[in-house]
Order: sequence, then C-alpha cells, then structure tokens
Amino acid sequence: MQINDLRDLIGRQLLAADLTPELLERPEVQSRPAIKKTTSGWVCNRCGQQLTSQTRLPHQQMYCQHCIQLGRVSTLTKLYTIAENHTFRQSQTPILTWQGRLSPNQLAASNRVAANFQQTVPHLLWAVTGAGKTEMLFAGLAEAIQAGKRIGIASPRIDVILELAPRIQAAFAHSELTVLYGKSPEPYHYCQLTLCTTHQLLRFYRAFDVLVIDEVDSFPFAGNVGLHFAAEHALNASGALLYLTATPDTTLLRLAKQNRLRVTYLPLRYHGFLLPEIHRHLAFNWRKRLARGRLPQLVQRKIQQNVKHHQRFLLFLPRVTDLDPVESALNQLNLAGRFATVHAAHPNRADIVMRMRTEQLDFLVTTTILERGVTFPGIDVMVLGADDPVFSVAALVQIAGRVGRKPSRPGGQVDFFCHGMAQNVLGARRMIQQLNRRGQRMGGKAWVNA
Amino acid sequence: MGQCLICQNWVSEQPSLAQLLMMASIHAPVLCRSCQQRFIRIEGPTCPICGRQQTKTTVCHDCLRWQKEGSLPLVNQALYQYNGAMKQFMHQYKFLGDYRLRQAFSAEIQARIKQRAGAMIVPIPVTPKTERTRGFNQVLGLLGNLTTTAALETRHVDKAIPQSSKNRQQRLLTEQPFQLTAGADKLIRGNRIVVVDDVYTTGRTLHHAAHLLKQAGALTVTSMTLAR
Repeated sequence: MQINDLRDLIGRQLLAADLTPELLERPEVQSRPAIKKTTSGWVCNRCGQQLTSQTRLPHQQMYCQHCIQLGRVSTLTKLYTIAENHTFRQSQTPILTWQGRLSPNQLAASNRVAANFQQTVPHLLWAVTGAGKTEMLFAGLAEAIQAGKRIGIASPRIDVILELAPRIQAAFAHSELTVLYGKSPEPYHYCQLTLCTTHQLLRFYRAFDVLVIDEVDSFPFAGNVGLHFAAEHALNASGALLYLTATPDTTLLRLAKQNRLRVTYLPLRYHGFLLPEIHRHLAFNWRKRLARGRLPQLVQRKIQQNVKHHQRFLLFLPRVTDLDPVESALNQLNLAGRFATVHAAHPNRADIVMRMRTEQLDFLVTTTILERGVTFPGIDVMVLGADDPVFSVAALVQIAGRVGRKPSRPGGQVDFFCHGMAQNVLGARRMIQQLNRRGQRMGGKAWVNA
Repeated sequence: MGQCLICQNWVSEQPSLAQLLMMASIHAPVLCRSCQQRFIRIEGPTCPICGRQQTKTTVCHDCLRWQKEGSLPLVNQALYQYNGAMKQFMHQYKFLGDYRLRQAFSAEIQARIKQRAGAMIVPIPVTPKTERTRGFNQVLGLLGNLTTTAALETRHVDKAIPQSSKNRQQRLLTEQPFQLTAGADKLIRGNRIVVVDDVYTTGRTLHHAAHLLKQAGALTVTSMTLAR
C-alpha cells in the first residue's frame, strides 16, 4: 500500500514504489542514494550490506538481495525521507496510567533504565524470565514521553510485539501508539510510540530518541548484520538504545566485557520465587515409537494426568514435522481436553494462540515459536526431544521460564523428555541453577506445590 | 555448493560417477530439492493448442472459445503448471524484482527453444516505465544470451492497469498493446517465429502479438511460456 500523507514519511526511509506519485513530487520530501560505492564495492544504504556480482541488473544497475523482502533497493531508486521533527500530537496527562507497583529489585532496575534513556551508550537489561521486564520500562518511557521524545519498541518476534502492544497501550492509555509488522492489518501512522518487528526498522531513518529491542538474542535479530545496522540507523545520533533479554548471547556479553554495553542484572522474579527447575526424563527412541503412532508412556501418563487435573500446559516439539504424528497419537488417547497444534507458518497461528490465552484450549502442541515473550497464566511445560539441536541452551531456559509467572501460582512443573544425554539440556539446567543461587542470595524462595 | 535461490538454504549435490568420469562441467543446482518439488512440470496429455496440462488430449474450453471468436489457433508450449509455487516465484522475480531468480529456469527454457532450430525468437516486451523501475525485461532474463529479435514494442506509453491485476473478462477485452518496431517487418517476413512470454493466462497477450506478426508476413507463429 502506497502512503500519501507527508507525516507518514517523517523519520522513515521508503522507496519510490512505497509513495504515491503526488507525494513524491512534494518539495518537503528529501532523498539520498539507496546504494553507495565504497572502496570495497557497492553497499546498500538501507541494510548496510555488501552487494555481490550476482545481483547485477542489465545496463550496469545493481540491487541489494539482502533486504529485498521489504521492497527492492537498487541504483534505480532512492531512499525518500522527511527528517524527524517531533510534530506528533503530545500525550495528555496523566501519561502513565499503569497502577501496579514494582518490587524493590524491580524499582532499582527501573531507575537505571530511566537514567540510561538519557545516555548514548547502549544498555542491556538482563533479567530472568518472569522478572517483569516490561513493567521496569514504564517509568523511563513515561519520562521520555513527557520530554516529547519519539519512542520505538521492536522485537525480532512478532508474537512478542502482539503481546506487548495491548500492555503498552494500557500503561499509556492517553498516548497514541502504532503497531507495524509485515502483514499488519492496520496502516502505519505517525505518532510518538511505535511498536514494530526488527525487520521494519529497516524502514526508519534517524527517527527514535529511545529504541528498545526486546528478546534481542533471538532469531532473526541475533547475528543478523543487516538488522543491527537498521537498529543503529533507526536511532537518531543522540538516541538511547536498550536491549532486553533473559538469556544474553556471547556477543552481548563480550560487548559488556569491553564496556561498550552497560548491563543491569536482575536474577529474581518479581514475585520473589525462584525459577522452576528442569526435570529430565528418558524417552528413548521416541521418534520411532511415534512413527508407530504412540507417544512415550511417561509422556502419555503425564498428559493424561494434567488433563484430568485441569492443569493447562504447553508441549514443545523440536520440528514442525513432529507435530502431525503427535497430534494423531494424542487423538487416539481420547482425551477430555481440547488442544491444538501450532507452528510458525500455521495459517491460524494468531487465532490459536489467542484461544490458548482465553482458556478455550487446555493445551497447545507447538514448536519453538512460543519459547519466549508469551505468558499463559498457571501453565506447566513439557518438551519432547529436548536434546534436539534446534533447542539452544537459551531456548530451553526460555521455555522453562514460561512456568510460574503469576503470583497466584509462582511455580510449576518443567519436564524435559530426551532420547539421550545432551549438552543443551545440561547447560539449561546449570544456567537455571546458577540464576537460582544468585536469586537465593537476594532473598528468593523456592515454591512448594500445596 | 550454493544457496537455493528461493529458500536460501544451502544446496550440496554429489556429482554422479558418470559426470566425474566424463569430466563434464558440473553445475551446482540453483534450487534445493524441496523447492524444486513444489514446481510441477507439464507432462503427459495436454491441450494440443495452448499446452495446458489436462487429462485428455482434446482442445480445452479456453481454446474452443478462441476458435469461436474466429481467432487463428496459436500453438503454445508451456514448461510448468501455474500453481501456487510458480505464482510465488513470479511475484519474487517480477514484482519484487529479484533478477537472480532468472537462473532458476533459464537453462531449461533455453534448451527447449534450441530444439526449434532456425526459428526467430521474439520476446514479449515490457513498457518503458516497467523497464525503468524494474530494470529488466523478465522474458529476456529467462532467455539469457540467446539471440532474440526485438520485433515488438508496447504501444501505449503507460499501461493504466497492469495485465496481471485484471480479471479474466477485463483481460480478454484488452486492446492490442503492441506495435512492430521500426524495420521489423523486413526481418519477420517469411520467417518461422517463436514468441516467448513468462505466463500464459488467458492467451490474450500472446494472441495479440501473434496476430501482429502474422499480419506482417511471418510464415508461422508459435509461442512458448514458462508457465500455463
């Protein structure tokens, strides 16, 4: 869809094809080349990556294949922009309409977040799963809104954005907010608060005074040169960058060691209970058994028990191809519980997740798409084939972190079923134990099921 | 070793013993196997006129309709079915403008055309505006470095609505969009001609092109498309 409003171009960088011909003619619209020549070759000005000889067009023209899914950048077009001028409608008071209270640990972290929003050194808030990261942003965001700054909140995961948007809107009820992702049904409009996927940052240029990137260590942002470039350029020169995660990767930790990243660390959940520990079970040759249409006995018993006691849960599987056999094996059990399977490319993905959230489903069989950023109150978690290499240590820690996020049930069961011993499962267990030891020092308690 | 043009996964194909013994040049596959499998080659019974895949070898209802309208039959050969995968491919290649994708089928389409030795290859042109924004003609991209004759050019300076976003009725009502390029009639006269396009949908575009070429004195006019 082409944009026609000048304001929708403020702080963005779009291609000629994204604008109506009338808008393109307006004198306010500035442009810069989309591709530049450097001593080492041609470089895309949008994603910062080098072009290869493969992407040569006829008549000595070039295009960038790295960011082509957001519209092709080439020597045939320019990047069009209007410099950020902070002309959005100012928020009405009171700015922060969130009524909750922070724990003393959260408050300390929240103060550091707010202080770092004044700084240009990037800041990492490393807080365990269920620490209440979003709530720790509120004070800093409120200050920034008050100061008339433009704010972006981005995440590599679309599910994270979709869960975050209503919470942010509720916390800042009098502020305007726009949500932007690949197939967003609502058109983008210029306002003070923007929530988007990290891919959409490629379409912003020196826009944000404050940019928050949630779940920064997850795919596709982690290790993606183009998206890191996009994040840096979506931020204006004096802007503040904040990364959020429970499981920082080695790249972030290295930056922290080199003092190029400030770190705020919070190893305890907001309700003061420790993280649920991982229970390992052996499910030898489970794929072979599944091929014969049956789940491992232990898994089967666990599922039946959970359904009987109305304990809602998530069952994680390593691969999309495992979903169908598990579903048919479950159908043969004649369970009383309602369930669904979901994966990244599922046509009704958002709908199914919503039905789990509104308790219309008793359990969900899923791949790693729901490993992070989502909260279903009071659930347990099972992972079948936790030793599969698709599960990184961080992914397993995140999956275990889905459990016990609500004060009404601050713990729960985390069961990993493995074919054999694996480093990733051991690593995840070790990481949770380590975090819990630190949490205990801060006064954390273990949860005992009544 | 290379990356699949469509899904970007790494492809590694083991060369066969025969390839190694004959020391033939080994081309890395440009598509991975799972992407390849999503495209369906047209094989077995087809419509004898437009080359559409069907269960019988009788003339299909679309071609019967062309006959009824008094249009001369245009024999078309198509390589692939126009299914979801092909539609997606065309989107990426033409509308996103990922010129690399031409390599996915160009070897195959070129081999097919070479079977028609002596025929003159006339690609369907794109409008000057498309040429400017897209930067390439998708048909020429498929044809690689085969010698082609630019006998046709678009007549209207700008197409108001592109052919691909019209419905069937609108497409069939489209007026002649082409004219002969300067001096083309001398080249065409008495020649066997193959018109090449990317997709045969209603046949409207190709029939217009064929009509023009026949009027200019071409001996025979047939067509070839990547998809039908």
